[in-house]
Amino acid sequence: MLLHNRSFTCAAAVLVLCVAGDRALAQGGDAKAKPAIKYGPVTGSAARGKELYHAYTCYGCHGFNGETGARDLVGTNSPILATEDTFIHFLRLRGNLAPLLPTQTMPNYSEKSLNDKDAKDIYAYIRSFHLDSPAVKDIPTLRKILKSADDPYKP
Amino acid sequence: MTNDQSSTNKRVGRRGFLKGAAAGAASTTALVTGIDKSLAQEQGSGPRNGSVPPPSAQQVARDSANVQPKPEMARGVQRAGSDLMIQVLKDLGIEYVAGNPGSSYEGLQESVINYGEPPNKMPEFITALHEESAVDMANGYGKAEGKPMCAMLHGTIGLQHASMAIYQAFYSGTPMLMLAGRDEGFIQAHTAHDMAGFVRSITKWDAQPTSLDGTLSAIQEAYRQAITPPTAPTLVVVDMEFQKAEGINTKIPAYRPPTISGVDTSTAKEIAKGLLAANNPRINVGNFRTPEGVKLAVNLAELTGACTSTAATQGPMSFPQRHPLCGPGADTQYDYVLGLESNGGNITLQRAGVRELTASRDVAKIGWGGLEINGAENPGGGRGKGKGKAVAAQGRRLMIDAEASLPAIIAEVTSQMTPDQKRRIDERKTKHADANHKAYVAALEKALETKKKGWDASPVSTARIYAELWPLIENEDWCFASPSNFSGSHNNQLWSHNKPYSYLGGQGAGGMGYGAGACTGAALAAKARNRFVVNIQTDGDMNYAPGSLWTAAHHQLPMLTVMHNNRAWHQELMFMEYVAGSRNRGGNRASIGTTLRDPYISYAKMAEAYGMAGEGPIEDPKKLEAALRRGVASAKRGAPYMIDVITQPR
Repeated sequence: MLLHNRSFTCAAAVLVLCVAGDRALAQGGDAKAKPAIKYGPVTGSAARGKELYHAYTCYGCHGFNGETGARDLVGTNSPILATEDTFIHFLRLRGNLAPLLPTQTMPNYSEKSLNDKDAKDIYAYIRSFHLDSPAVKDIPTLRKILKSADDPYKP
Repeated sequence: MTNDQSSTNKRVGRRGFLKGAAAGAASTTALVTGIDKSLAQEQGSGPRNGSVPPPSAQQVARDSANVQPKPEMARGVQRAGSDLMIQVLKDLGIEYVAGNPGSSYEGLQESVINYGEPPNKMPEFITALHEESAVDMANGYGKAEGKPMCAMLHGTIGLQHASMAIYQAFYSGTPMLMLAGRDEGFIQAHTAHDMAGFVRSITKWDAQPTSLDGTLSAIQEAYRQAITPPTAPTLVVVDMEFQKAEGINTKIPAYRPPTISGVDTSTAKEIAKGLLAANNPRINVGNFRTPEGVKLAVNLAELTGACTSTAATQGPMSFPQRHPLCGPGADTQYDYVLGLESNGGNITLQRAGVRELTASRDVAKIGWGGLEINGAENPGGGRGKGKGKAVAAQGRRLMIDAEASLPAIIAEVTSQMTPDQKRRIDERKTKHADANHKAYVAALEKALETKKKGWDASPVSTARIYAELWPLIENEDWCFASPSNFSGSHNNQLWSHNKPYSYLGGQGAGGMGYGAGACTGAALAAKARNRFVVNIQTDGDMNYAPGSLWTAAHHQLPMLTVMHNNRAWHQELMFMEYVAGSRNRGGNRASIGTTLRDPYISYAKMAEAYGMAGEGPIEDPKKLEAALRRGVASAKRGAPYMIDVITQPR
């Protein structure tokens, strides 16, 4: 397991990074407010990652395209997604979190349930996501909604 | 249980009653039904341990009309007791009665459809395919109008079918009148000594009258109780004996409307003084009982120039969301805060809710979660102890109806206001309106940056459904009747909820199966008022009781249903993923039991099967707007329409 190959100090640093990143995911969007992430290389297969992304129902929270859902991924500048290592560390770090009440926060993925290779493939697929939506000004429906905000109040 | 019910121990046999009915006027006296002992003996299995035996094959065959019942002849009546009961409903202004037919209320049903000359049209009988749907319809109607609709239920079995919907309506505090038929001696398992017993803790009031006069009075009282705070569903168990009794000499008692108390004069003076003396007063607004409360709150805000909050995106009967005074205002340092069905910093007026009923109604100590009074003694809800407790208000808190209090407060404000105060108020109103508009536009601009995410994605983003709908409905009279929480609640930011019925809120108790029925009920209210209902319908919820689609088609209700079809009970899928992860078993099997795949369900075909126009599945977002346009046009014509949209999960 990856964590075993790292020093405690390093793991702690990653933990801090992940906690911060988790908050960033929760906030979503607002990429401009955060420093740009320097991304590491991708070694997995995005095509296989796509299959795993669906099989492991990652889309449940992150949307089929990483743009929607409870925790969108694209454009969040999340440090969790910086490298394969940070991503895999994040998957493994929740091993001891098993709250009594139902939760929809990020589940734990141990080596046993999702090995490093599969995780790297999923990572590759996530890295293939890109912000696909046009600007508000280029979406006629949204422009219309914004324009109608100036209409007088109709009881 | 009422006193009227306590006399049910005085048993009078069914046949004895019928003999009495044949004798004439004796039918109006306090007669009670009892278990038909001869029938029980025929079954060879009389009541065991005080319980009612299950139906015999013979009885079931009879109920399904495979054999005719042994005739128990009685002279026909000149005026059926149930005609009088329907007259009571008419006098109360009940527009609709929803029911799934059942022999225990056949007298009542026959009166709904045939009483009068020409035959009765109001209340109209609305054919429901399930008692849960019937009560959900009454719930949706009651939320939209702030007054009761009626649901008719068939004996113990109909009441149990309905119980989930009653539970939801109870948590929502929806005024609603239910009549359950009771007929001892036909099928024993369809009756009970105390039929209302198993829904007592989730209704406000019930009665099982022992006379025709008592039944008429009980229906009136049930209505009165339903609309008096705490508003909630009420139930009258109507014995067949009285449905079919001779009513020629029975007079309908005069209805006595409830007196709902508001604040006393000194409190009204105090509030008016506080609002007028303040430099920057605020009114926090929750959800009133009826549209009248909304009208009065707008009046008070405009009189005093107070900026307001609103609960219009949480449920019906709240302050218009885009009213110029609704928002944070020009200055958020408020020096006097009045709470109307919401917490206020200085004084809070909040009517009693269903929580206050539990002490008297939950006699079995079931302990329904979240309904405990101040968290004491009745912890209900297990680990969630404390949740649902009334939030402690700052300042003075009066458990009193805000709507009933407003006329006195408005009168005092009008009377106390000086010309100088009026001038300052007018200035303040202008500043608030300007600031609120700017705040609204800024919030909208920010929201749009989020809502545009996945705009062109397939499956369709939930935000795009709401966004594409808004330009098509914003200038129409619409009611959004389905809960929006599972489809992203995008209406909160994208739509303007300016009518008391703009948004009807959640399921009440969070149970599934509510949406289609509640929307159908809201569409009943909408039909007579030239508006239409929008139902953004989650697929998991739809499959509990889809028969409401047929009801909407049959009664030609103005309802547009847009499926948020994520092919799952998606919340549960997310929960399952977490649990599997926490046990190191991964999420790749979390879809088992939480998704609707293999095969996918076609909702357009489902609609078609129920006689409703529909289209889909739509996966390409570019095809959405045209489909919605067709749907809105159809709903406005009174032709319900279904659009199946394959969506992103959330």
